[in-house]
Amino acid sequence: MILTGLEIIKQVEAGKIQIDPFEGKQINPNSYNFRLGATIKYYINDVLDPKVKQEVRTFTLPDDGYTLSPGRIYLGHTLEIMGSDYYVPIIKGRSSSARLGLFIHVTADLIDIGSHNQWTLQLYAVQPIKIYPGMLIGQVTFWQVIGEIQRYRGKYQGSMGPCESQIYKDFEPSS
Amino acid sequence: MILTGNEIRKQVKNGTIVIDPFDEDQLNPNSYNYRLGDQFSQVPELLSLGHKDHETILQDIPAGGLQIEPGFIYLGNTYEVIGSSKYVTLLIGRSSVARLGLFLQISADLGNLGPAHKWTLELTCVQPVIIYPRMKIGQVSFWVPTGDIEEYSGSYTQYDVPTHAIYDLLGKTQ
Repeated sequence: MILTGLEIIKQVEAGKIQIDPFEGKQINPNSYNFRLGATIKYYINDVLDPKVKQEVRTFTLPDDGYTLSPGRIYLGHTLEIMGSDYYVPIIKGRSSSARLGLFIHVTADLIDIGSHNQWTLQLYAVQPIKIYPGMLIGQVTFWQVIGEIQRYRGKYQGSMGPCESQIYKDFEPSS
Repeated sequence: MILTGNEIRKQVKNGTIVIDPFDEDQLNPNSYNYRLGDQFSQVPELLSLGHKDHETILQDIPAGGLQIEPGFIYLGNTYEVIGSSKYVTLLIGRSSVARLGLFLQISADLGNLGPAHKWTLELTCVQPVIIYPRMKIGQVSFWVPTGDIEEYSGSYTQYDVPTHAIYDLLGKTQ
């Protein structure tokens, strides 16, 4: 079952959901709108080989915006640090940015329970689109679980700012 | 409600969820990482929905990797046989793969309750990406439904290879 907006507020106040900073006016009837952080990364290579640690360029979004180009995957991040040890977060775009053809994740909307970070967003523009730091870019929903909870302890835990793929570690011989 | 990783393990053990082969190491806090199968098929250009006048050409994904290009759809499948008649499956990407700009589905992540099979994946990429057979490419989550269950009886479950569209959008079966 999905939490309503009023239930999200209650669980934030009870400390069972972390949304920091939390703004009451960003609550929706069954989700919370999050903001885009100021840091963006993109890969230097054109061809992306998951076996290879990919080098990135990092820059800060100017206040007057930056135009994303189709044909490149950009990594952004949520301004908020978010997570829950009790509910599963699922991130979504907002229909307002979706109507402009902006993807904020690439078929990876499910967040692990216990993962507390500024979440990395996978930004992909169908047409050139301008983005601004602090804009309300997406929304997060929270879902009840069934079964015993084991919290996330993976490689992205605690990350701040956008974090590039660590998938090359999958291909390293296990020690 | 979504099943935790521990609950997925429990339901696999008692046979309510099929994930075969099942490897504990691929279990996440609330999902299971599945692998890419060994074969792919490219979707021909100018394909109208539901037409069957092309042959499905299956090719092996080379062990050394296959570079896929933006602007095309490649069909792959899960290496594992996955399914449940009791819990609803959602087949999605992993953030590690998503961060490279590789889509695993084209806005169709919802599976049907019913027989387990190897699920077809719709791969498309933002920049050229190299894919490898049996790489951990996506994740599957399981959800508790409400209501009486009528299992999926469509034809896709009989296929354990990457399978092209069978039905057209007008709702007529071929």
